[in-house]
Amino acid sequence: MRILVIEDDTNLNRQIKDALTEGGYAVDVAFDGEEGHFLGDTEPYDAVVLDIGLPQMDGLSVLEEWRRAGKSMPVLLLTARDRWSDKVQGIDAGADDYLAKPFHMEELLARLRALVRRAAGHASNEITAGPVRLDVKAGKVTVDGQAIKLTSHELRLLSYLMHHKGKVVSRTELTEHLYDQDFDRDSNTIEVFVGRLRKKLPEEVIHTVRGLGYQILED
Amino acid sequence: MRKGSIAFSLFWLSAGWLILALAGTAFLLTDLYSRALDGNLTNQLKFNIDALSSAVLDSSDPTFADVSVQDPRFSRASTGWYWVIRSDSGDPIATSPSAVGSVVPALSGDFDADNYRSAVLKDDAGNNIRAIERSTTNNGRPLRITVIGNLDDSLALVGQFRGQTLIVLGAVGIALAIMSGIVARLALRPIGRLGRAIEQVREGDAQTITGDYPREIAPLAEEVNELLRSNTQIIERARNQVGNLAHGLKTPIAVLRNEASAAKDNPLSRVVTSESDKMQQLVTTYLDKARIAARSTVVGKKADATMVMLRLVRVMQKLNQKVTIAFKRPDASIPWFRGDEGDLEEMAGNLLDNACKWSKGQIGVTMTSERTPSANFLVIRIEDDGPGLTEEEAKKVLRRGVRLDEKTPGSGLGLDIVKELVDVYGGSLQLKRSVLGGVLAELRLPAARVGLVRS
Repeated sequence: MRILVIEDDTNLNRQIKDALTEGGYAVDVAFDGEEGHFLGDTEPYDAVVLDIGLPQMDGLSVLEEWRRAGKSMPVLLLTARDRWSDKVQGIDAGADDYLAKPFHMEELLARLRALVRRAAGHASNEITAGPVRLDVKAGKVTVDGQAIKLTSHELRLLSYLMHHKGKVVSRTELTEHLYDQDFDRDSNTIEVFVGRLRKKLPEEVIHTVRGLGYQILED
Repeated sequence: MRKGSIAFSLFWLSAGWLILALAGTAFLLTDLYSRALDGNLTNQLKFNIDALSSAVLDSSDPTFADVSVQDPRFSRASTGWYWVIRSDSGDPIATSPSAVGSVVPALSGDFDADNYRSAVLKDDAGNNIRAIERSTTNNGRPLRITVIGNLDDSLALVGQFRGQTLIVLGAVGIALAIMSGIVARLALRPIGRLGRAIEQVREGDAQTITGDYPREIAPLAEEVNELLRSNTQIIERARNQVGNLAHGLKTPIAVLRNEASAAKDNPLSRVVTSESDKMQQLVTTYLDKARIAARSTVVGKKADATMVMLRLVRVMQKLNQKVTIAFKRPDASIPWFRGDEGDLEEMAGNLLDNACKWSKGQIGVTMTSERTPSANFLVIRIEDDGPGLTEEEAKKVLRRGVRLDEKTPGSGLGLDIVKELVDVYGGSLQLKRSVLGGVLAELRLPAARVGLVRS
């Protein structure tokens, strides 16, 4: 899962980035509206954390531009302005959720998880595929009730595939959604991680669709 | 402070002058009339002096026994009409028959250029008399011819005239007083209209003062409008600044708090966490207070409550997709809210937010209007199927800053803002048990006087 964080306060930006990275997300950051808008417009993100008060271009304008251009990724608005009229304005501009500053990082994470899950069409924090069960909130994976240990990269990969289960996910898509901008993208790494993941999971959980990519089948 | 009435002042001012002017007129007219009567009498008396003078000239009798005048009033006794011819020393030589047996008072003073002198006296019968005396000579013998006329007839006429004048002028005065009363009332009518226009603004039925006013009070209407405009601007500016302050403070507080909680457990992070929590509390509390104080001065605002509720329901439905919010849209006769639209959003929004937090899947929103003899109210009911509150819990929640469940997200200040705003507007908030099983929040707010028909 790749998240874009647009927040002009460098400290807060870093804190959110750290918390999200720790939560298993690939994170890109922007410090002003224009840069943020450009990134959101050109890169595929699974969710965006967007501050309303931004230099160059305010958050609501960024959001409206994206929606006008047909970008539908879930957006969590971050703002100090917590009047209802601001909320209404934000939601009407196309935001999916709203978080008033100052907030607890756990709440940001919870809301972001819910947004990503909802966007993928999952109702609960647990996604299952056959014997494999992923607890999105805790970042834990069990097979037939037995916990298995995954590295953060493996967890990201499995999580993305499970969120999009039933769909064939290409290597490019995986690279785009699992790594941030600055990551050295070598398509072989995906194959390496898929290989390692397959060893820890039962057979036939991750299918290879020749020439197209990978797939976790619907139950 | 009330300081008299303009209408009364105007009335008494014009009526006072009127009374003085009319009294003066009555006095002047009577005086002129009495002068005219006196002048007439003097002419009659002078005519008789002339007649006597010629009779004296024609008479050969040194005692003038054959001298007389034709006017019969000089023949009857004590009529107040006399004539007397005196020698230079003042001894009477001849008198009219009316003066026989009575003493005709003598005149004193200097003769004028025509050898006349005149005085008002009283005779011994008690009549007021006008006496005119002419000094003349008859064959070298100096004589004084005095003719006296009764003034009482004239005085009676003057009295009568005065009475009639007072009646006529009194009637005129009353008519004028009534007229000036009406004029004062008419002149002040635009002020009454202006008063009603201002009241409409206060009631929220109008944004500005409209209508045409006379030149004298049109500037007042414009000034009031200007005041309303600048008031709105000041409030707008205050709100913006409050918003800026909020934005400015909240981000650093968020940074401090996150940094401290990320640093796990050490004395510094504990202090920073607790202090930044306090700062956050203070900022929220006082920003809310500032906002409430800024808006309590807002006049002349009203909001279409149905539109606000539709908007809030739409937003909350998007944010909380697990619950179903059933909003029964009221018909167009539902009154508008008398107050600021943002404030209504704040109150209803927080209640709706609470309902969403606790609901298991169902929320109902209804709106009704309520009439009491003193005021009209708009009632918004928001109910959920959550766990609900006992009576005691409801009481506790309505106290300041109390949260029942610290785990449910939110600052816990939501209800405080609602309560403060409800107080500002003179409404009420009640928490009851809903038929859905959860809380029924009943928000009672003042309605704008006229529910405008929605287009």
